[in-house]
Amino acid sequence: MIEPVQLPDAAALGPALVLGLTALVVFVFDSARPHEPDRGLLAGTTAAGSLLALGVGVWYMIAGVGVPEPDGAGVISLFDGQLVVDQLALFFMLVTAIVTALVAIASYDYMDGHAHQGEYYSLVLLAATGMATMAAANSLVTVFLALELASLPSYALVAILKDNRGSVEAGLKYFLLGALSSAIFVYGISLVYGATGVLQLDLVAEAITGETGQHVLTGNAHDVAGHDGLLGVGIVLLLVGIAFKTASVPLHFWAPEAYEGAPAPIAAFLSSASKAAGFVIAIRVFTTAFPVEATAGLVGFDWSVAFAVLAVATMTIGNFAAAVQENVKRMLAYSSVGHAGYALIGLAGVGAGANELVLGAALMHLFVYAFMNTGAFLFVALAEYWGVGRTFADYNGLGRRAPIACVALTVFMFSLAGIPPLGGFLSKYLLFWGSLQAGMLFVAGALVVNSALSLYYYSRLVKAVWFEEPVTDHGSLAQPVGLYAALIAAAVMTVVVLPGFGPIADSALDAATAVLTS
Amino acid sequence: MMAIEGYVLLSAGLFCIGLFGILTRRNALMFLMAVELMVNAAVINLVAFALYHGTLTGQVFGLFVLGLAAAEVAIGLGIILVLYRNFGTIDVSVPTTMRW
Amino acid sequence: MSTAWIAISAMALIGVGLPIGMITLSSLLRPSVPEDGKRQTYESGEIPTGGTRFRFNVQYYMVALLFVIFDVETAFIFPWVVTYRDALEGGPSVVAVLAPMLAFLGILIVGLVWAWRNGAVSWARSETTDWRSTQNQ
Repeated sequence: MIEPVQLPDAAALGPALVLGLTALVVFVFDSARPHEPDRGLLAGTTAAGSLLALGVGVWYMIAGVGVPEPDGAGVISLFDGQLVVDQLALFFMLVTAIVTALVAIASYDYMDGHAHQGEYYSLVLLAATGMATMAAANSLVTVFLALELASLPSYALVAILKDNRGSVEAGLKYFLLGALSSAIFVYGISLVYGATGVLQLDLVAEAITGETGQHVLTGNAHDVAGHDGLLGVGIVLLLVGIAFKTASVPLHFWAPEAYEGAPAPIAAFLSSASKAAGFVIAIRVFTTAFPVEATAGLVGFDWSVAFAVLAVATMTIGNFAAAVQENVKRMLAYSSVGHAGYALIGLAGVGAGANELVLGAALMHLFVYAFMNTGAFLFVALAEYWGVGRTFADYNGLGRRAPIACVALTVFMFSLAGIPPLGGFLSKYLLFWGSLQAGMLFVAGALVVNSALSLYYYSRLVKAVWFEEPVTDHGSLAQPVGLYAALIAAAVMTVVVLPGFGPIADSALDAATAVLTS
Repeated sequence: MMAIEGYVLLSAGLFCIGLFGILTRRNALMFLMAVELMVNAAVINLVAFALYHGTLTGQVFGLFVLGLAAAEVAIGLGIILVLYRNFGTIDVSVPTTMRW
Repeated sequence: MSTAWIAISAMALIGVGLPIGMITLSSLLRPSVPEDGKRQTYESGEIPTGGTRFRFNVQYYMVALLFVIFDVETAFIFPWVVTYRDALEGGPSVVAVLAPMLAFLGILIVGLVWAWRNGAVSWARSETTDWRSTQNQ
């Protein structure tokens, strides 16, 4: 076994560091020739950097970084516990790196003829760095910093088609709501800091459970129970900020607008990696900093119940709205809202029993979702590249004109719907089983009903591409290398997740157990 | 020394003024300023609580928040600029090319 | 209420009262001789063109953005400077204390070089010629 202990501790952040350094390298390349950018070089560097980050992440995972002491190198804590690299962090760094690589490869063709190549790739990499850091953030300070590092480039990326009204409008709406929710989030952090006197997640938990009447670090007289109002309001505001980032229900309405107007690879990036990063923050902050019983005892409400309500509302509203859409990209945007609802079940289960299983299943779902959802949006990118149109009717008969891409699309759609032989089925099944075990019958029921409903609109798209007659043109379509490669890689992975399910599910469950017991 | 309640009330007031501005103004620049008020309310809280608890964490975080707020405004102004170029206005309720 | 507060309020009173008093006094004493030359914006004789509320070139805004970024950067350097000596006395080598700040500055410099190369700080040529042509008219 490779000994990662020989490396300096900061090397544990490898995947995030590699992504950040690649962003700087892209900046340097773009500075060298600012007016005639070499698209291949920029896209290639980005893809190579994210694949390197992926490789480093996989290596760490195999080498046992983050696995508790007897078997592995132990959880690595950096900068006095501000950042922590455990299995959960590595798991989400992998998800981020995979999505970034797919998006970079697909963007080579999609962004052809576009003016801002250097900006585009470096912003993608900076956002990915932020998401990877979010995975490791272990203090409300680093959570907020990483969240902003991921968000600020995303605003610019959504609006990067500067002459396209849809893109600018989407960027504006995304930015306005994002700025508002991050202001609310940081206000929530300030209130939690006021109530507990600390910002590091495990110390917050100590302050909440400890009840010594002393500040956990300085030992000054400070009674957390006397500030339960501040703490309660702070937790609610944190919840609002996280609901925005994960596009969950009260704050989901930016998602369809932003995804529809954004360049399709960016929509894929945001709806997969950004959402997963939002979830890792939700998981880390709520499970580590606010232990369910102790927090409920102090502030008078159980946040896992709030997550259960959010989960059911999010999946229902997302799926019903998706079912009535005519625009494919918008349908996918609402479906991604629905999937956020499925992943929220993981946090809802923390309050009930069998929580490792539910949380592990949610991580599992986010992992599979990263492939199938990115793939689905990349198909939309391909359709935009072809210029065939945006509605279901425009996709009619594409199966005959571009069979390989449409096979991939079929895989993504059936996997998103949760049809048995595909990756999406297994993670949904685990979620269903877990929520039954945890006694959340209502949530489990909502999951089944919503999956059945989602089958309707996903299969509608499959029907359109295979069984409908093309409206005008019958000729075969171009096969751009980058987009096809990314699409096929995503499709293969969606299928390969199946035999590889054992190890992935194991690491997801390990990660869930680790974060719950720490 | 002033009691901590004073600072919390001040910051809550600022936060609510910011929120009110966001809910009532349709000018994108006004929106930015209102968000800035909300962020600064949080910074007041952080600094006041840092003093109250006798730790420096809150003050240092306050510095970071200020830096991030500046970066956010820079991005926001850029987006507002392209909004103006495309729509000829910075009224946030005008761009409605996408429908529910 | 400590004596410090009394001193501060006295300071504030004097600070506000002195200029107001001086302006009032001089307006009572001075002779009033209105004439056109005194009402000009620039008494040097430069004649202002157009109103004050015209649109500024977007390039001012680019420079202003760069300024804001480097202005805020000092907010991060400042606490580092304050603790620099104490950190050195704690035992770590000069490199360990200096390296993080150098990395921070390095990242900023990469960004500045990129912005420079992409023309963020160079005045666009067409604007310059426009300005010259209005001068010649």
